Amino acid sequence: MTVKELIENMGLKPLSQFDDREITGVFVSDMLSDVMAGAQSGNLWVTVQTHKSIVPAANLVDVSAIIISSGKEVPRETIELATKHNIAILWSELPTFELVGKLYSLGLATG
Amino acid sequence: MSECQHQWEMTNIRFGFVVFEKCSHCNGIRTFFSASGHPMVGDEYVEGEHTWRCMENAQSLQFDLQCKQCGQLEKFDDVMGFLYCTECLDDCKVAILQKKYAEKKTWVIVAFGFLPRRKDTELSPRRLKILEDYFNQRRDTSRSTIAVLSFDLIDDFSRCKGEFIHDVGMLSLEPPKERKPLF
Ligand SMILES: [Zn+2]
Ligand SMILES: [Zn+2]
Repeated sequence: MTVKELIENMGLKPLSQFDDREITGVFVSDMLSDVMAGAQSGNLWVTVQTHKSIVPAANLVDVSAIIISSGKEVPRETIELATKHNIAILWSELPTFELVGKLYSLGLATG
Repeated sequence: MSECQHQWEMTNIRFGFVVFEKCSHCNGIRTFFSASGHPMVGDEYVEGEHTWRCMENAQSLQFDLQCKQCGQLEKFDDVMGFLYCTECLDDCKVAILQKKYAEKKTWVIVAFGFLPRRKDTELSPRRLKILEDYFNQRRDTSRSTIAVLSFDLIDDFSRCKGEFIHDVGMLSLEPPKERKPLF
């Protein structure tokens, strides 16, 4: 599944501009250090963190998209930085647990 | 000489805190990694001619890299973390390089050693290259690549407002508005 297919499937709201790519799995954490240690290239990263340092962290480990859950408001500077570097930021009102459940039911898993 | 085309993976991952301390006497800064499960708190303390006070705890990790093929181990416990240049200073060497690299879809990341800087703890070009190889080997490089530069390129920490890829101020989930220079 690609990021754009996921957006269609789940009704996620894309906040930044990005080129579509394949999703390899899901990583859930609100800690940048966790993401640095555990996320794989192409993973979706689900978080409630919205500070702009999520963008360089996402890029360093090459995630396919950041999904902001629980309807957290995302600062404009975070979105601008993501667009500048072709990083997808997607937004959902769903609480993290529900969002991850839906991702799981779509066949996405850790990996 | 090894013939191996090393394939690096992260190993020996330790989570902890990078602690930033400032001396109220000389305004000197020092940083160190604490592997304890909780942030450092406490009053200032005297050590020699310095009076250290903790300014910041950033949740972070330490790691080593090991080659999957030949087993060669490279320790990186002298890496304090990675900084993303926000091009805050026009004359910053990192910012200038970053603009150049951006044309090739290459992202610049600055690898930081602990402070104060000492000659014997500098991150050598050989080890910076290993870090760079690691980050590029694990990514889809047809989209973009990573360049890892040394923090030696930053002349003036006191003015730099680059973003540390650390969980600074994230213990509270309240996003910091703008990072004040740490130094
Ligand atoms: Zn090797
Ligand atoms: Zn001092």
